Amino acid sequence: MQTMNRETRVILHGIGSVLLGFAVFWFMMAVPPVRYVCIDGTNTLLYIPEWPSMALRNVLKYSSNWVLERETLHERVSKLEAENQKMSAALQLTGAKPAVSAAMFIPARVTLRYPEEWWREIRIDKGRANKVKEGAAVTSDGYLIGRVTRVGAHYAWVELITSASFLIAVAVDETRDLGVVNGDDKGNLALLYIPEDRKIKPGMNISTSLMSDEIPPGLPIGTIIAADKVKEGFVPMKVKAGAHLTQMYNVEVFSSGAEVSK
Amino acid sequence: MIYVLILWLVQDLLQVMLMGFCLVPEIFLLSLLFLALLPSSERKYDERLFIVIAFAGGLLWDLRWTNLPGLTAAINGFLLAAAILVWYKMPAQGRSVTLFSGLCGAMQVLSGLIHCFFWTVSSGVAARLFIVQQLLGIPLIIFVTFIYWKVWEKHV
Repeated sequence: MQTMNRETRVILHGIGSVLLGFAVFWFMMAVPPVRYVCIDGTNTLLYIPEWPSMALRNVLKYSSNWVLERETLHERVSKLEAENQKMSAALQLTGAKPAVSAAMFIPARVTLRYPEEWWREIRIDKGRANKVKEGAAVTSDGYLIGRVTRVGAHYAWVELITSASFLIAVAVDETRDLGVVNGDDKGNLALLYIPEDRKIKPGMNISTSLMSDEIPPGLPIGTIIAADKVKEGFVPMKVKAGAHLTQMYNVEVFSSGAEVSK
Repeated sequence: MIYVLILWLVQDLLQVMLMGFCLVPEIFLLSLLFLALLPSSERKYDERLFIVIAFAGGLLWDLRWTNLPGLTAAINGFLLAAAILVWYKMPAQGRSVTLFSGLCGAMQVLSGLIHCFFWTVSSGVAARLFIVQQLLGIPLIIFVTFIYWKVWEKHV
C-alpha cells in the first residue's frame, strides 16, 4: 500500500510538472513583457558566474579563427582600398568635399542565439552603458545584419534581417531603384516592391536607403541572386545576405556620433 | 543540495563554452536521476523532491537558453517522474545497473528529441545538433552509470 502511495505521488508530481510547465509556457507566451523581464533577469543573474566561461570561449575561438580570418581580412582590405581610391578619384572630379561624420561602430560579441529564434534575434554584450540605442543598425563584416530592438544596461537584443517582421528600405546600388527587404524566419531574404519593368538583374548589390538616424544610408546588405514570379506588377527578388549569418560571433553596432565607453 | 546547483551551473558553463557549436548533454537531469534512484540508505531526500528540483532547474534553463519558458521544466519533471516510476514498478531483482543506464539513455534521447521538435532551425541543422548532443551524452551516461555501479556494489 505504501509502495502504491509512493508511486501515485510520483505520478502526480510528473503530471503536475507537465501541467505547470505548460501553464508557465502559455502565460509567458501570452504576456511577452513578463517573459522578457524573466529572461533578462536570469541572464543578468548568470552574467557573473558565466563570465570566466565566456572569456575562455572567446580566447579559444579567437585563437582558432585568427588564421582563417587573416586571409579573408587581407582580401577585404585590398578590395576596400581599391574602392576607396576609385571613390576619392570620383570625388575629386566633382569637386565635392567628403562630409566628416562623427558616427562610429561599437564592437560587440554575440552572447546568445536561441535555436528557436535562430533567424529572428540574437543578444549582444553591449548595452545602454556602451551607448547602444534602440533601432541602431548592427553589422557583421561591414554588412547589415539587423537592428537593435531592446536595450539593457549591459546587453541588447538584435532583430535579424532574416526575421519575418524585419522590413527595411533599400536601394539597388547599380540602378538606385528603391525597395524593401524582408526576411521569412527561415534564413531567406526577399527584395520587394520592384516594378516589373525595371531592369534589375542577379548579381546587383543592395544597400540601405535613408531610413533613420540610427540606420545610415549605404550600408551594404547583400546581392540579388534570382527573380521570382511577377505579383501585381512587382517582381520579388531573392537576396543573398552579404554577412555570414550562420557564423556570427562578433558584430558592430552603429552609433550616430555617441562616444563609446569600453 | 548545493551539489545540484553546481551541476546545473556546470551544464550552463559548458553550454556557454560550446554555444554555436553543439548542445551539451543532460548533465543536470541525469545527475538528478542518479540521486533519486540511489538506494534508500544512501539517499537523503524523498525522490519527489528531485522532480521538483528537475522542474525548477528546467525552468531556469528555459529562461537562459530556450526562450520557451516551461518547456524544459515540463520535460524534466515528466521524464524524471516516468524514470522513477519505471524503477519502482520493476521487481527488486530487475532494479540493476543495466536498467539504470537504460533509463539514463532513454532520458537523454527523449529530452533531445522533444526539444528538437520545438526548434525552428532546418531539419538538417536540428539533426546535426541532436546527433552531436547524443554522442556527447554517451561518455556522460557511462560515467554516471560507473558511479552508480560503485554505490550499488556497496549494497549488494
